[in-house]
Amino acid sequence: MVMADEEENGVSIQLEFPKGRVKKIMALDKDVKRVSSEALFLVSRSTELFLQFLAEKSAQVAIEKKRKTVNLEHIRVAVKRHQPTRDFLLDELPPPSQAAKPDKPTQPAGRPKLDPAPRGTRCIDQFFRKPEPENTAQAPGQPPENPAQAQSPENPDQDQAQSPVPVDES
Amino acid sequence: MADGPASPGGGSHESGDHSPRSNVREQDRYLPIANISRIMKKALPANGKIAKDAKETVQECVSEFISFITSEASDKCQREKRKTINGDDLLWAMATLGFEDYMDPLKIYLTRYREMEGDTKGSAKGGDSSAKRDVQPSPNAQLAHQGSFSQNVTYPNSQGQHMMVPMQGPE
Repeated sequence: MVMADEEENGVSIQLEFPKGRVKKIMALDKDVKRVSSEALFLVSRSTELFLQFLAEKSAQVAIEKKRKTVNLEHIRVAVKRHQPTRDFLLDELPPPSQAAKPDKPTQPAGRPKLDPAPRGTRCIDQFFRKPEPENTAQAPGQPPENPAQAQSPENPDQDQAQSPVPVDES
Repeated sequence: MADGPASPGGGSHESGDHSPRSNVREQDRYLPIANISRIMKKALPANGKIAKDAKETVQECVSEFISFITSEASDKCQREKRKTINGDDLLWAMATLGFEDYMDPLKIYLTRYREMEGDTKGSAKGGDSSAKRDVQPSPNAQLAHQGSFSQNVTYPNSQGQHMMVPMQGPE
């Protein structure tokens, strides 16, 4: 069917789409048994109206975005703006590839493992722990240490080494 | 805009799936893309263009629209124990599904269509004769034309039922 003139007034009865094809699409629904010629005509015409509507809205979106070529995103926006069309069509549209940003996997920061301290360090720790109670004890305990040193003047070095002994006893 | 979560309705068209379903050729599932492209270009500015994937997506959208309207009209016929979908069923379906804006132009088209049918009975054009071979006209619909329209006006059901398009072919 060759279209002689445009349907400016919508007067033409000529259809844009082949009727057989429209009928086959309608028959995809197994519940559809028979379709009258009027029904087939109305579906063809309503499909034209829907297509014109979709094209016009998509063109508006493209113009708003300063584009000359209508692409998938413009059609998606046009569909979203019309509630009835959106209801049955939004899920049918292909997912927007632009919006699918690849998430960068956050690299787990490798914690620097604390190497076990050598034995020498532990001894030093032990030394640091013991002097503290000595200092605390020496402050009030200085008088009793002095008579101990006076009692045994034979080995002055041993006296210094033995000084923690009375602390342990107390 | 989170499009990731799957829709509970379950669309019958997978994105990017151009392979035809079993027993249904792709040629029979979509309208010719040349016709679609021609109508789309009329709505664009003079220097406007349409991306190829956009045309293909619209091709699928249009088929989905036909199935959507047809399914609603078919359900109405089944409820009323009728086997043939007529024009009034489709007008009702479009009003129910939210396309009321289409009713006025379609009624004008339908009036002219019926006038032409009356004038050219027996000697229809080539296209019309091919249509008559495919479909069976129902004169009852024409007789009950005014009655059906009044029924359509009083229908309180507005978008109450959104029938999802059933899955076609084996899963």
